Amino acid sequence: MVADLLRKLNRNMEIVAKKLDRLIEVQRSAGGQVLRPSVPVPENLPLDVTTLLGLPDHLRKSALALASLREATATDLSRETGRVRAVESDYLNQLVSMSLVKKKRKGRDVYFYIET
Amino acid sequence: MSKTLAFHSYKGGTGKTSLVVNLGALYAKQGANVCLLDYDFRAPSLNVLFKSKPEHWLNDYLEGNCEIGDTLIDQSERFHLPGKLWVGFSNPSLEALKEIMTKDRKWEVKALTRTLAGKKEIIAEKKVDYVIFDTSPGAQYSSINALAGADVVCLVMKADEFDLEGTKELSKGVYDALGRKSGIVLNKIPLEQIAAGGGAEKFGKQIASEVGLPLVGMIPCMCELMAVGGKMIYTLEKPDHTFTRSVAQVAESLKKI
Repeated sequence: MVADLLRKLNRNMEIVAKKLDRLIEVQRSAGGQVLRPSVPVPENLPLDVTTLLGLPDHLRKSALALASLREATATDLSRETGRVRAVESDYLNQLVSMSLVKKKRKGRDVYFYIET
Repeated sequence: MSKTLAFHSYKGGTGKTSLVVNLGALYAKQGANVCLLDYDFRAPSLNVLFKSKPEHWLNDYLEGNCEIGDTLIDQSERFHLPGKLWVGFSNPSLEALKEIMTKDRKWEVKALTRTLAGKKEIIAEKKVDYVIFDTSPGAQYSSINALAGADVVCLVMKADEFDLEGTKELSKGVYDALGRKSGIVLNKIPLEQIAAGGGAEKFGKQIASEVGLPLVGMIPCMCELMAVGGKMIYTLEKPDHTFTRSVAQVAESLKKI
């Protein structure tokens, strides 16, 4: 009974998270301010270790985890970092805004990766 | 559960390579599967000690010219070790040394991602208990890439003012920033310095508190080691030697971090 409820809750959370992703994308394409990077990083810097060391802790954790996975969805990343998916999605999109990380769509999923 | 250790220092000549080789061999002697990776691309050394000339170097892996597994050579049979002792070598040729100096930041991004992915692959495919990086001193790209891939960063330092001040900077600017667990090994410590510092325990605690990192171990200075450096693995050939006992203490401390 409880397990069923938890599974249902988990499914609903996944749906909400995906909708949030779409909202974030819409907001970005409309020139929204929310996803502006919280820390100024000069443009066109590669995501090497010196850039990594200059990032705030929360973004560095996401970037390092992504570097080890090469390519990942926000869900994959959240498993790696132990943070909730929506938070991870936000951090990854901040890294995308800084041009440090790229993303692409495969079907319904959004994959983030570091261009090498 | 495997553990990745990276040995680093502010200055060169602190004894990282000797410690890495002896530590790795000791873990393998205890039955653990170990992989040593020579990430000192500017002054490769492991090839000298193991007298190996592999078909593929770690340089080739970072370039994307081979898989990480292609660079590893198992040394366990040669040394009659119960655990595996895989070693990945960096290319000591002048050409390779020049090549590594010309790399740009974009290449370093690739090197970072391949370092992290390679480590994962070694753990998964070779069933390794310890991956141990031997790095270049200072804030070199390759070293920081290795530190980023490590669970525990072990700083090897002598107890002189140069090392002390530089190590404090590294601790603040790199280790803290990367959020890695870290500790220091005091190496090549003259016995007179230990005595003047009020004995090993007091002296070690004092240095550790100055650097702001826990003490993993302390190894006294031994002229004999400098004379035979690169020719012998003490933990395998001289099990009762003071150096072996000191390395064993470091090994035990690292297991607990």
